[in-house]
Amino acid sequence: MITLKDITKIYELNKNNTIIAIKNINLYIKEGELIVLKGVSGSGKSTILSLIASLTKPTTGEVIVDKQRVSKLPDNFASNYRQTTIGFIFQKYNLIPTLSVEDNILLPLVPTNPDEDEARAKLDRVLTQFNITHKQHSIVRNLSGGEQQRVAISRALINNPKVIIADEPTANLDEKLSKDFIDILQSLKQSGKTIVVATHDPIFFDLDIVDKIIEIRAGKIV
Amino acid sequence: MILSPEVLTIEILDTIFLIFGSVAFVLAVKISLKWDINSTSHTQYNLENQSFLSATIIKYIFAIKLPLFLFFVFTLDKISNLLTGAMCAAGVVNATEYGTYLLILKLLNLYLFGLWLTIHYLDMKNPNLPYTKIKFEFFTIAYWFLIVEIVLEFISFYNINVDKMVSCCGTLYSSSASSVIGNVLRIDTPLLLSVFYGIFLLLVLFYRFRVKYLFAIFNIAFIIISLIALISFFGTYIYELPTHHCPFCFMQKDYYFIGYFIYTFLFIGTFYGIRSGVMQILKEPNYQSYNISLIFDTLFVLLVSSYPLVYFIRNGVWL
Repeated sequence: MITLKDITKIYELNKNNTIIAIKNINLYIKEGELIVLKGVSGSGKSTILSLIASLTKPTTGEVIVDKQRVSKLPDNFASNYRQTTIGFIFQKYNLIPTLSVEDNILLPLVPTNPDEDEARAKLDRVLTQFNITHKQHSIVRNLSGGEQQRVAISRALINNPKVIIADEPTANLDEKLSKDFIDILQSLKQSGKTIVVATHDPIFFDLDIVDKIIEIRAGKIV
Repeated sequence: MILSPEVLTIEILDTIFLIFGSVAFVLAVKISLKWDINSTSHTQYNLENQSFLSATIIKYIFAIKLPLFLFFVFTLDKISNLLTGAMCAAGVVNATEYGTYLLILKLLNLYLFGLWLTIHYLDMKNPNLPYTKIKFEFFTIAYWFLIVEIVLEFISFYNINVDKMVSCCGTLYSSSASSVIGNVLRIDTPLLLSVFYGIFLLLVLFYRFRVKYLFAIFNIAFIIISLIALISFFGTYIYELPTHHCPFCFMQKDYYFIGYFIYTFLFIGTFYGIRSGVMQILKEPNYQSYNISLIFDTLFVLLVSSYPLVYFIRNGVWL
């Protein structure tokens, strides 16, 4: 499902200042697996997620997701790929605080311009799935952290993507909300989604639902 | 040398084209030599980024060159007031020995850049970028035409001497002129019109029966015969003067700027005709190009034909 072949990513800040974020990484993730990328801040976890989501291109190597060479995609195709294949859950949710819950969730549908019934059906599905129907018309900035995260997850799943990427998803949550999030992950895994989580939260390291824990240190798989 | 605000504008833009076009050219050469879409090396990823930069530069050059061509013609017309003897742009074009070549080259470059954009558009439609190498190889050739055009433009404006008398269009485009134009104007009118309408009829037939390559080739022939027919025959009906054959005067206010419409229809129609041939070579579907080409070619024929017809209806005689 997801293959990273000989991936190196170097950020060139200027001519004399380069940062090697990851070096010669090889990784294979099967369809339906839940993988945890473990490592301290700056180890290269988020770079791997960005490469899988085609938010950035590797310096060398190749990323293949769902048989597409995503590291080679021109920008217009990369946008389409992200929209249809990837659901991204950010550490800080990246919601628009002044919009309502439903407007935030519907945002990824805007470029596809679906008819109203189709959009409404998709919205109802995720609102019910993540138990936030009662908050549908609330303004996002008035929600609690846990509710905001469920909105962020709903937004990530509105297009029914095959791959879900979560970058430090529990960093802003207390223990109970973190457990709730893991329950959500479990249900997503059961529905056949491929999930990649980058985290240094120990709560993920002893879970039965996790298929593989990959430790990243200084840009390399340990 | 003439340095009117319009000429200065054109020359400043030429300088910008020269600088940015050269950047695009250097990148295009690198891409032409090293492009390998299957490679996952650092060099290839760099080339992919550079190809987007280079293509963006070329697109912007074309986007500016297109209206700039009309501005160029407008400028020639405007500065004709400064040259003794010149009545319209024709006098300025012929004020130096480079003017005619410059005008032809400008037109040719618009076609070349337009075709480049066609290949670029097809390339960007496919995630595997199948035409990247071809389009940049094409640009490495088109770039030299651009350079020659820029150099000719500088030389032309530099060599225009405002103290020297130039010929007016009436002299330049007369059947007694001992030039290529003179020979063109001596072509038998029934023969000329037969060829002109004959080629147009063939275009309609090639469109109807989807004879794709011939449709493109005959569009090239249609540009040439149309320009000849315009100078030799149709122009005289626009002016309602049997001896006036200038291809520029009818772009002036006195003739309601009709020349701009005539040339726009002709160039759009023929460009899309040629474009359909290029798309056929690349085995890409191209119905839209066919339709646009035939619509504009037809508009051109209807527009230029309306002048002699209206003249005949009004006066009961031909010129």
